[in-house]
Amino acid sequence: MADEKRTPSPMDRVWDFFISVKLAIVTLIVLASTSILGTIVEQNQPPEKYHQIYEDWAFAIMDRINLFDMYHSTWFLLMLVLFTVNLTCCTIDRFPKMLKVVRNPRTKLDGSLEKSLSLSDRWKKKGTLSEWAGKYAEALSATFAKPKVTEEGGEVHLYAETGVASRFGVYVTHLSIIIIFIGAIAGNVAGFKGYVNITEGESITRVPVRGGIQIQDLGFTVRCNAFSLETYPSGQPKAYKSDLSIIEGGREVVRKTIVVNDPLQYKGIWFYQSSYGQAGGATAQVTVARKDGTPGSTLSLSANEPVPIDGYGIVRGVDYQQNFQGKGPALQVVVEKPGQPAASFWLVQGRPDLDRERGDSLVFSFRGLSSKMFTGLQVAKDPGVNIVWLGCALMVIGLIMAFFLSHQRVWIRLAKGTDGRVEVVLAGSASRNRLAFEKRFEKLQTGVKATGQ
Amino acid sequence: MSNVILFNLTTVLFGVASALYLGALYAKNEKISAFGTWVCFLAAVFSTAALGVRWYESYQMGIGRIPVTNLYESLVFFAWSVNLFYLVIERKYRNRTLGAFVMPIAFFTMVFAVYNDSSIQPLVPALQSYWLHAHVITCFVGYAGFAVSAGVAVMYLLKARQENAKISEGVVGLLPACKMLDELVYRAIIWGFPFLTVGIITGAAWANYAWGTYWSWDPKETWSLIIWLIYAAFLHARVTRGWHGKRAAILSIVGFLATIMCYLGVNLVLSGLHSYGGG
Repeated sequence: MADEKRTPSPMDRVWDFFISVKLAIVTLIVLASTSILGTIVEQNQPPEKYHQIYEDWAFAIMDRINLFDMYHSTWFLLMLVLFTVNLTCCTIDRFPKMLKVVRNPRTKLDGSLEKSLSLSDRWKKKGTLSEWAGKYAEALSATFAKPKVTEEGGEVHLYAETGVASRFGVYVTHLSIIIIFIGAIAGNVAGFKGYVNITEGESITRVPVRGGIQIQDLGFTVRCNAFSLETYPSGQPKAYKSDLSIIEGGREVVRKTIVVNDPLQYKGIWFYQSSYGQAGGATAQVTVARKDGTPGSTLSLSANEPVPIDGYGIVRGVDYQQNFQGKGPALQVVVEKPGQPAASFWLVQGRPDLDRERGDSLVFSFRGLSSKMFTGLQVAKDPGVNIVWLGCALMVIGLIMAFFLSHQRVWIRLAKGTDGRVEVVLAGSASRNRLAFEKRFEKLQTGVKATGQ
Repeated sequence: MSNVILFNLTTVLFGVASALYLGALYAKNEKISAFGTWVCFLAAVFSTAALGVRWYESYQMGIGRIPVTNLYESLVFFAWSVNLFYLVIERKYRNRTLGAFVMPIAFFTMVFAVYNDSSIQPLVPALQSYWLHAHVITCFVGYAGFAVSAGVAVMYLLKARQENAKISEGVVGLLPACKMLDELVYRAIIWGFPFLTVGIITGAAWANYAWGTYWSWDPKETWSLIIWLIYAAFLHARVTRGWHGKRAAILSIVGFLATIMCYLGVNLVLSGLHSYGGG
């Protein structure tokens, strides 16, 4: 063609750059090798930590090229953009050509096509063209696929194909990557990720997101009713459980105990068990009874926090020992009565009646320490996630189409020979896995040849 | 425990099979390598039994979980996959010289496994999920495909050098033709690649269900992506002028080195969300 000799315009050159597979290979290798950096340099740590590891000059350079958050840096994103543009241009360039070939297959086995096919066979038959064309068409339908019959210039051509879908595998796979990117962008734009601690018995309505820069209003209330930790007999953790309630309009609408790998979802917002800990200091539980044995209230003593008892005085828990004089856990209490000097004494948890010996009007017993826990929840909303899964499913389908299907084509040409017999040519080709096709072609060859004998 | 005894026996069998295949290549004796195939088959039976017994024993201990949850188990599962993958390829392509380059991978994996803690430990909360099965199994079948591919790629490079020099002698002379090796490098990858892809996807789905994010650029995730990118480059290289053949074979070997890094290096050298895998 004439325009092939024309020197390419700058536009053509740019286009040729973006549709080249070499660019794809180079981009893939560059993406792979630069990605290594972010696995060696720990990402998104506080600056102090980096200063401990790296010299100032190294820190400055690394900070400059965003190496501490490289997967979100402009240069890395630009490489992903280049990758996507390459992918898209290749598709725009090749897909219509492929479609054209698939829609208008070469149904006639002419001389040049025959030469290009490595698998072929020829033989002669007595009879008429149409008779043998009919027989072979039937044989192909039965063992391979229904052929398309073309008559032209005294020749009859049969063409049959299977596995056309394999030609689309590449494009389905490439499209899936773009869909995954769209899903990821949608999630980043319209979703949020945050983390929140909720102490047992308390509620939250808002969550800090984007590393705490923003506050996200949930539109409902989440309460942590309780947190518990289960361990195996060996002491290894077995389960972290948070009993959560969703409260909306003053009413509990959902209640669920979540564990790791079993989150709670409400209105598109997911709550994941992520962490836990002790909320504030521990409180000492102390029961109070009268001297005659009538039980009274239970006090919750925080360290050094004075708690008044009407008509008696003020009680404070001042010290705690895990093993007091070999008698086990004990609490030191100070009682201040109006007009009297403060009295200090120890309550041993294992001996609730010990305080009777003091001969006071009230008897205190230490029931143990209790500490409130908090649960740490990962909170996420990602409206793009289903798009991502769609892309992933398409990718698997596309790969299977591309790798395990093969576009197999078979031609038969029938022509009247000079000796009056019918000259038959059988030829075939496969887009991939030629070894397997060779075997199939051999079978087909024997089958077709044996037809009508 | 009896599963460990069975695994130790498997290790010995892998060693014997490797020796037989290498010996056959050296002595140019097809009969020796046929014997190697039987040893591989026996090793497959033993290691499958060992995995089953280990699974059963975990139930006996009241833990009850699939045996693919720590370094020891993943190593033996990897060796098991390589062996099966190899047997299928050997049968399909009727060439036993491959064994000399693939079975040592299974053998050294098992030797490495023996040096790791083989006790059955209960699952930490993060691993208690059905996604575990799909994720780990697909990843390791993928890794096995890459291991086989890299073994054959080494053969390709040796053979290609000889074919270029137009000589055909010594041990290398016995290797299959370059065309066949090139095809095998590719065939192993087109099985490994979809499995790795499904492995990454199931990992992402699991991460999303456990942590609320399907991708967090954790070192393990990133390395799995690096492997994926390298093999994607391989697949494109193979259909590009100037890139198929030698360069594609090198990409296959680099891909397997990256796989080893992802599998072992990340746990042993780097820290991250997958740290329990190093136990």
